[in-house]
This record gives sequence, structure tokens and C-alpha cells, in this order.
Amino acid sequence: MAATYDTHAPSTQLAPVKLQRPRRSNLGITVIYIALTVGGLIFVFPLFWTISSSLQTWQELRSFTVHFLPEVPQWGNYALVFDTVPFARWMANSFILVAITVPGTVITASLTAYAFARFDFFGKNVWFILMLGTLMIPTQVTMIPQYIFFFKLKLINTYVPLTIGAWLGGGAFMIFLLRQFIMSIPRDLDEAAVIDGASPFRILWSVILPLMKPALTTVAILQFMNEWNEFFGPFIYLSDWDLFPAAVGMRVFQNIPLETTNPRDHLLMAAAAIMTLPVILLFIVAQRYFIQGVVLSGLKI
Amino acid sequence: MAATTTRFDIGAVLRRELAPRKRWQNFYGYLFLTPWLVGFLGLFLGPGLYSLYLSVTKYDVLSPPEFIGLANFVKMFTNDPQFWPSILRTLYFAGVGVPLGVVGSMFLAILLNNKIRALPAYRTLFFVPTLVPIVASVVLWKWLLNDDFGLVNQTLRGLGIMDPPGWFGDRRWAVPSLIMMGLWQGIGGTRMIIFLAGLQGIPEELYDAASIDGAGTWTKLWNVTLPMLTPTIFFNMILGIIGGLQTFTAAFVATEGGPGFATWFFSLHLYKQAFDYWNMGYAAALAWFFAVIIISLTVWQMKLSSRWVFYYGG
Repeated sequence: MAATYDTHAPSTQLAPVKLQRPRRSNLGITVIYIALTVGGLIFVFPLFWTISSSLQTWQELRSFTVHFLPEVPQWGNYALVFDTVPFARWMANSFILVAITVPGTVITASLTAYAFARFDFFGKNVWFILMLGTLMIPTQVTMIPQYIFFFKLKLINTYVPLTIGAWLGGGAFMIFLLRQFIMSIPRDLDEAAVIDGASPFRILWSVILPLMKPALTTVAILQFMNEWNEFFGPFIYLSDWDLFPAAVGMRVFQNIPLETTNPRDHLLMAAAAIMTLPVILLFIVAQRYFIQGVVLSGLKI
Repeated sequence: MAATTTRFDIGAVLRRELAPRKRWQNFYGYLFLTPWLVGFLGLFLGPGLYSLYLSVTKYDVLSPPEFIGLANFVKMFTNDPQFWPSILRTLYFAGVGVPLGVVGSMFLAILLNNKIRALPAYRTLFFVPTLVPIVASVVLWKWLLNDDFGLVNQTLRGLGIMDPPGWFGDRRWAVPSLIMMGLWQGIGGTRMIIFLAGLQGIPEELYDAASIDGAGTWTKLWNVTLPMLTPTIFFNMILGIIGGLQTFTAAFVATEGGPGFATWFFSLHLYKQAFDYWNMGYAAALAWFFAVIIISLTVWQMKLSSRWVFYYGG
């Protein structure tokens, strides 16, 4: 784990630790390449299909011959999505929810993880087990009283019920991931800082957090993806169309009556492509850190 | 990190130094814990206890809860035609989908853990489906599996299968369709990355020792890799089952529980009771029963784990 120190020069490798890979014969390695290539293409194919379908006319899609590519790319389909439903508004709402919850999760999950990893306070083990226990309790158990509570507080159709949890710890999985990561940072670093008279805040800020960059990035990406994906919460708490995130808007778009009775598969495909794009861009930018973060925290029970 | 304490004596000295300062530890411990603690008490423990109370009441939000004893639980077991079927359906979905997904992720990770060129490119190919939001994925798969015009059925017809399944529109095929979509989304995702991490934690000496004993690729896979991966398999199974049992969005957006009640999972049943019929008391009882099922299954898996999970060096 010594390599975790050196986060100033993040490695492009999967992990900066030495990789241990079983050696294989030439034949074996060829088979592996073929399996991976075929498998990878199968996994990516549905995305190609989404984009190809989104650029076709509905007549092309609904014909009994398969069109792998559009006759003429219908870029207008994308404009039509934004004209038919307020998809731009819904995408913006998703970004707003992400912008509120990602910092909340990163900050409060780090604080909680720091408490569990570094302080020997009264009842620590009990709280820790209770925290992991929350993973086992289905969301429905707390959803109903929470809904009633927010309903009585007249917070339906606001983002408060959807974002408050991210600012209050951000969930057990994130805390656990960060706590595992902090545990892998040698305590001697903290203790050296203690000798220099640093306060726990200062140690967190100047010693722990800089070393945690991969783990923090992982948490930020996971939270981005979770929030972008989140359907149930917005679905029950929001009824005002202007507040819908893209995930809920997508379902509306799937079901509402439109002015035209023509099939809308090509438009749904365009909408699916639009709402997937930000997550893919994020992953491309941050994947190096993300994978390091998962690998280095050594997630295991 | 045990090694660090033996190497640097100063650490042990300091820790002894810090030991009497319990109050300091308590103060900062709780200070940093506060945000989570507020959330735990206010958004989790409080609501959890309140829903336990609601489970013995009749409550429609508008009029105050009315105590009815165990009537909700009696109704659940004896007078709710969708109760047992929805449980069995949920167990079917999670019981088939999760093990397939975990095993799939594991084998993919084993393949990717070889010395191959362009590893990041391959990893990305398999990871991309995870990035597709569930709702978008449903829209896509409903189109791929469209009865008349979907690529899958057009291909099957081209291959001479003139009566291909109706997938999401077919009672028998609706759950398998959801499982298939889940596998596409899940196999190459975070779970696979966790397996890669597990694989990289296997000490090379074990493979070297096996080679000296004349073990081939398969023997090493079976006798070194798999046993060493059991803690990771266990971790992924536990989280996978918990998540799989709670599946909601895919089934709700794809089919709203249909056709017939083919994808009417427990979470949908609960949702309908709570937010369509406003039977909040009954829904709370269902939720607690659900919690008991999930906790029992998790505890059961943990008990079984001592028989098959292998922790190397303790």
C-alpha cells in the first residue's frame, strides 16, 4: 500500500501496485483476446443501436427489414425531442440535483469516515455496525414516514427531500468506502502532524484529504451516477413537470399522449442518448481516478 | 497496517500518549460524526420506528392513524392475493439474476486480469453499459426486444424462429428480459472492478508455488484464484442480493408490474399500496416484513460464509 502516498503523480496503470497476472501460453492469450473483443462488442452494441435508431425515421425503424444505419441521418430528431417535451429543463434539473448532492456526499461522508477511521470515541463500534446495518434495511421502510414528514412540512415539490440525505452522511456505502481508504493511510502521518501541533481539522485537510483524491473522486462519480439514475425519490416527491429530472421526464415522454399519433421510438432513442451522454463524458474524464479509488480502498467485508 | 506499528516505535509511544485523552477523542469523534448522526436519527431511526408504529395502524395520511393491532399482518398473510406471488417473483428475479451477474463479473475480471494490451479500452467497453441510466436502458431494451420490429426478434425470425418470445410483453419472458437487461448493465460495472481489485490482492507466491507443483492454468484458477476470491464473491453476493430484492425502477418503467402481474415485484406491490391506494399503515407493515426477509437472508448468507469463504492469512 506504500504507493498510496504518491498521489501527486497519478499512474495511468490500473493501480500503482505491481500487477500480478498469471502467465499464459500464446494460444491461451489469443483465445482471451477473441473472447474479450467479441464480448466487448456485444456489450457496446446496444449503444450503437441507440444512436443509429435515434437518427432514423420512424418509418425506417418500423419496417420489416433491419436498418443498421440510417438512410439519411435525421439530426432533426434531436431537436424534435427538445421541441416535444421540456427535455432541456429536465436535463438542467438533473444537473442541479447532482450539483447539490455531490459536494454534500463528498464532504459529509469524508467527515463521517474520518471519525470512524481515526477517533476512538465512546460507542464507535456500535455506531459503525448500525451504519453498516442501514445497508440491509430496504428504503421502503423509511420512505413512507419520510414522505409523511415532508408532506406535513409542505416540502413536496421541492428538492429538499431529495438532497438532504446527501448532506447528512451520504449513505453507508460511500462512508464505508472512504473509511476503508483512510484506514490504509498510515497513522504515522497523522501522528507526525500531531507532534507539529496540528488540530484534527488541519490533519484532515492537509494530510488525509490530499491522499484521498482517488477515493473522493470515486465517491463523487458514484454519487453523480446514482443521482442521475435516481427515479423513485423524484417520482414520488415531485408532481410539477418543471421540476422533473431527466429520469422521471424520460418515463413521462414514454407514456404521454403527443399531438401526433406516430410512433416515437426514434425520439425516445434520441432522448436516451442525450441523457446518457453526460455520464459517459464524466467517466471518460475521471475513469483513471475512479478505478484507482475502488482498487485501493480494497473493498471487502 | 500492523507492520507500521512495529517499524515506527514512535507511533506506539504516541498512541499511549494519546490514550488518557479520551475526552479529546470523544469530542472530535462525535464532532465529525454529527452530520451522519443527525441523518441516522432523523432520516433513518426515527422514520424506521415511526413506520413500525404505522404497521399496526390504518392510516391514509389525511385522518390520524387508527390502531388496529396485527390486522395488517393478518391481511398480508391471508387476504392479499398479490402478497406471496410478489415475494416469489422477487426471489426468482434476485435468485437467478444476482448469482449470474456475480459469476459473470468474476469471469470477466479474470479475463481482464491477464497481461493484455489496450486493457483500459477493453475495460471501458464493458463498463459503458453501467453508465447508461436505468430509465434510458429500459427504453433501449424495450426497443431492442420489441415484439415486431426489435432487432432481436427480427434476427430470430431471420434464423427461422418464426414465433419468437414477446419479451417484455410476454408473461413468461418479462422477468427474464429484466434479468438480461440487468446482466448487460451490471456485469462490467463497479462489481467487476471490485473483482479486479480482489485479483490483484492475490500474492504471486501462490501462483509460483502452484507452478512448481506442476499446476496448469485451470488448476491454478480452481485452487488458487477462486479460493482467494471468495471474500470478494461474498461481498458482492451480499450487496447484490440486497439490491436485487429491492429492484423497482426497471420493472416499474418497463412494464409497471405487467403484463398480467408478471413483473409485480414486492417493491412495486408496496409502492402501489402506499402511493396509489394510500394504505400507509398496510404499506408500512409490508415494508417491515420485507426488512425482516432481507435481514434474515443476509444473516443466513453470513452464517453460511464460514463454510466457503476463505480468508488468506487470517
